[in-house]
This record gives sequence, C-alpha cells and structure tokens, in this order.
Amino acid sequence: MKKIIVCVGSVWTEEDLAGQRVFELLQHVRHPGGIQVYQGGLAGLNLLPFLEQGGRVVFVDSVTGHASSSKVIVLNQQQIVQSQCRKHYGHGAGLPYLLAVLPRVCTGIMPREIYLVGIEGQCTPESVQEAARTSLDIAANGTCGHGKEL
Amino acid sequence: MSASNSCKQLNIPLNRVEGDLEIKVNIEEGLISRAWSSGTMYRGFENMMSGRGVLDGLVLTPRICGICSLSHLTAAVEALEDISGTKPPDNARRLRNLALMVEMLQSDIRQSILMFMVDFADQKAYASHPLISQAHARYAPLAGSSAVEAIKETRRILEVVAIIGGQWPHTSFMVPGGVTSSLGTSDLLRCRLILEHFHDWYEKKILGCSIHRWDQVNSRESLFEWLEEKKEHQESELGFFLRFALEAGLDKFGQGPDNFLSFGGFSLPAKTKVHGTHGQLLPAGFARPGRVDIFDPENIAEDVSHARYSQKHISAHPEHGQTNPDPYTALENNYSWVKAPRYNGHAVETGPLAERIVSRDPLFHDLINIHGSSVLSRQLARLTRPARLLPHMHTWIRELSDNLGGKFYHRVKYIPDGAGAGLIQAVRGGLGHWVRIVDEKIEHYQVITPTTWNGSPRDENQEPGAWEKALQGTPIRNLEHPVEAGHVVRSFDPCLVCAVHSIEKQQKKGGLILRGGF
Repeated sequence: MKKIIVCVGSVWTEEDLAGQRVFELLQHVRHPGGIQVYQGGLAGLNLLPFLEQGGRVVFVDSVTGHASSSKVIVLNQQQIVQSQCRKHYGHGAGLPYLLAVLPRVCTGIMPREIYLVGIEGQCTPESVQEAARTSLDIAANGTCGHGKEL
Repeated sequence: MSASNSCKQLNIPLNRVEGDLEIKVNIEEGLISRAWSSGTMYRGFENMMSGRGVLDGLVLTPRICGICSLSHLTAAVEALEDISGTKPPDNARRLRNLALMVEMLQSDIRQSILMFMVDFADQKAYASHPLISQAHARYAPLAGSSAVEAIKETRRILEVVAIIGGQWPHTSFMVPGGVTSSLGTSDLLRCRLILEHFHDWYEKKILGCSIHRWDQVNSRESLFEWLEEKKEHQESELGFFLRFALEAGLDKFGQGPDNFLSFGGFSLPAKTKVHGTHGQLLPAGFARPGRVDIFDPENIAEDVSHARYSQKHISAHPEHGQTNPDPYTALENNYSWVKAPRYNGHAVETGPLAERIVSRDPLFHDLINIHGSSVLSRQLARLTRPARLLPHMHTWIRELSDNLGGKFYHRVKYIPDGAGAGLIQAVRGGLGHWVRIVDEKIEHYQVITPTTWNGSPRDENQEPGAWEKALQGTPIRNLEHPVEAGHVVRSFDPCLVCAVHSIEKQQKKGGLILRGGF
C-alpha cells in the first residue's frame, strides 16, 4: 500500500510553518515501509496528484481553533472537510476544498485513508518532533482520528 | 474616510480572496460613490531577503505565492541575469516560456470558472436572471459540471511543468544562464500530447470554435455576430459568459483608470518562428485613451502616503524604496498594507486587459473606446488569453524537438555585485523584482506584484487605485448582498493571500457588515 506524507504551508509565515518544520525533520531520513515525504507548500488544488494514487495520505499543516497552543491533533478526512463551511474555490483554497472536491475530480485511484496531523498555532521544537513522529506512525499504521489533543 | 449623513457605508470583506482584502464603499442613491481598498495583512517578504545569499531568491520568492510561483521564479532569475549580463540560450527561453504559459492557462481557466462565473450561480443575487438555472448547473460550487471539468483539465495541463521542471510543486528549474533540465524526445512528446488535449478541450468547451475563428473577432460588432453565428458559440463557456454578463449589465460598470501598463512578457528566442515586438511576445507599453507609449521602468514609483509604511520620501523608485512597516500610523488615512505604485504619477491597471490594449488588439480597443473598460471587457480578456498563447506553445515544442542538440544552459561563474531588475508579465499583470547585491549578499529586494498595482490605496494626490476607481459608479441593488462590487474586484483577479493557509475551525467568511449608525 502506498504511504505518503505531504507537508503543506508557507515558509514565509510564522503561523503557517508547521508543515515546513516537519518536512525539514523528515526529508533526509530513509523511512521504513516505503513511506515517502513531500513538500506540498501552498499548492492547494495542485496537490491533487498526491491524492490519485490510492493508499494512505497524511498531510501535515498548521491548524487554528482546534486545541490549545502548540498541541498536536489528528483529523480524519471527514473532519478536515467539515472544518470549513466554505465551498468556494479561491486563491487560498486549501485542504478542506481539495478533499471536498476530490471525489468528483479524481482521475486515478482514491486514497483509502486520508489524515491531517496538525500543530495548533505556533510550533515549538517539541510539537514539531511530536508531529513528525505521529505522521510517521499514522502513515505506517493508520489510526482513527478523533480531532482530540494527543 | 468618513461617510456623510446622506450615504451608506458598507464594509465588504471579500471572500475567495481569503479575507486579506477589505473593501469599504460609500453608496449614494444606489451607486458606489467612493471606495477604499485595504490589504489587511503585512507580509514584508522583501525584508526577509535582506542579507541572504545571491541565489536564495530563486528558492524563496516562488514560495511567495501558491498559484503563480513560476512567475516569481521568472522575475527572480531575470533580475540576476540583468545584473550578470547573461542571456539564456534559445532552448532555455522556450522551456521557461512554456512553463510560465502553462501557469497562465491554468490560472485563467480556474479564475474565470471557479472564482468569477461561480457568482452567476448565486441564486440570491440572480433569482430573476433568465439563465440562472443553467448557471447553477454549470458553476455551482463543488458540483457544477463546468467547475468539475475545469478542475480536471487544469490539473492535467500542469503535468507539463512537472516534466519541464523535473518536480512539482516548488520547482526551481530556472537558473541564471538557462534551465537545469534538458528534455528528450519522449518528454517533449508527452508535453505535446498534454498540450494538444488541452487545446482541443479549450476550443470545444471554452471557445466553442477554433482559435482561428476566434482570431477573426476584431470588433464589438463582430463579437455579437460571432455569438449569434452558432449554437456551439452560445453554449460554450465564452458564449454563456457573454450572454449572462450582458443581461446582468456587466458591460456597464467597472471602469478603471483606463491607464494600462504591461511590462512585456515572454522573451523570444533569437531564432524562432514566433513573432513579437522588440524581442517579446507580449509587448511592453503604457496605454492611455488613444495612444500607447514606450514603457520606461524608471517611471515607476511606490507611494506610501496612504499605506502603513514609513519611508524617507513619500514616493520612491523600487530600487530605492523601503519596506518599513509602521503599524502605529492612523488607520483613518493610512488604511492599507498595500503600497501605491504609480507610473509617471498615474494609477494604472495591469493584467490581461492591459496586455490586449498595449498589444493594440482591435476587439478590446473597440470595446473600451466608447464606454471605457468594464467588468465584461476585463473578464473577456482573461477568458480568451489562452487563445493568444496556445499556438505559440505548439511552435516552441516543435522547435525544441528540432533542436534537441542545442544548449539549455550557459555557464554563469558568479553573480557580481550590482543592481538589476526582472520585469515580466505574470498571470495577473506586471510583476517586478528589483535586487541589489553587495559583497555577494542581497542588500535590497523589492517586489511589486500585479495586485499591488490594481489594489493600491490612494496616493498623495488622492488618486484612487485601479479597483478603487473601478468600483465608483457601480450599482448596488441589494445592500445586504452586494454581488456587483464582488464582480468588479474579482474581474482584476486579486491575489493578496498566498501566505497563511491554515485549517480554521468553522470560520464563516464572506459576510457583509453594515457599519454602525446606518
């Protein structure tokens, strides 16, 4: 089964650095089980190719309003889509839009499982470490996301 | 920024530009009388570049924007080539142009269908419009047939960039002296097939006719003849856009300053069958009613009189301008984090319509000659821009196939100290990177994006920015749902975001706030 981690966010913005920081930790390490790690940046809808190869996809990103500051959370696909009520595409369309539209536009194999590992607010070295470990663990074994603090 | 007792003042946080743009308007007798556009977020990329290595801009500036990263990469590399006096070989020019054009194709289709025409499906705004049910079937968010198809087709075309750049996202394949990739026969064949597929789809679904037929539309009259000619024309996205927009009166409001600026774009290879002007496919120029003047970058200055920055001089050329955020200035007068670039002191519009006007396109000259620019003419220019690009893309792929042994890179030993600029025509208009290198480090970096031009606040002469001006005179039928103001601003395709993309829990955006007292 294909297992990928896609770290998203902006390298320019402190509040959006979580994905980049986790990517920096994971990028040069050879991971067991063929887990591949990608830097998704701000590609938004252009991340579709990562979601058309089946398997398990774990996104890593900053989140807001889910937990206390610097906590790591895990959301499943449904929870990600429901995290925003916006249905319109825009320059800032992110994961919720991407996952909401995915079933209608997927031309490959839909992922079996999609998760988001999020760091609330500003990330700390500890929260980045925890998010990296959690991402690898979920990519390897899957889980049932509850959106609760770990 | 005060409203008199006789008028209403609305605060419109525009959704689909991610909440970083706020428009305030005064409305008198159902028309917008004045508008103020506020960029509500400080970014300050320029200051982050200071002190970094010479080549860092090639990696960092494409990350300024999630949807036009190749535009920033192109401007960054051209600035360094300007400093080093380097000219890339022909094959590198072809690959750079192809990649940037793909970015334009994707953005033009997505903006038109997913961001602009989606408002046609707004049942609250257009309940009585005769085409509302068709519009809903086509453009409804997440479900409209045209919306879903646009996502699929624009996803596929991007594979060309992945082939050319060797990776996606965040390719940095453009370097001073050329490109890091050299495509083989099979890569070029894949690019050709993807492009041909997109071309066929664009002609069939977007235009409803061949590009050759569209090229014959050269006046307002011939535009209507084209629309009446065939059912395929009327049912295409372009035909539907025209029918809906004309019925909604989008040709009657949204007139900007009608000063148009193009930096020029797509430098031509020395040997090519593609024809251009002064070595560029898209000509550079500054157009005002009745004339097109030569573009001189020295005429650019950024005014901070109404922006939240401090600077030694109110107005300065980007080579000397500073980015000193000053959050303590009074919001009443300094109401935006966007500076106000001016060309020879004039507020200007940049983007696809400006490209057509500077190129002396007879259709668009005819459209704006009588009543000035409008929402319709601006959006029409964007929806039909791919027709101006696709034929040249085929030519460059053929020329690459015929010159596989040609060079893709000229060695550049080092970038010397000095100053230079990369001025290109990006997806949303003129984009400039101004760089100064001292002691092998970046000492100064200034970026002026297209939205800085179009979404600028007032200048020291109180002249409004392009869409502030375009909003004046816009009729607002329903104060609680001012869709017309959204049409005007979105026709410029604003891009103030590309910074924070955070998953926010159940946040409602896009509401309308009537300010206290009204």
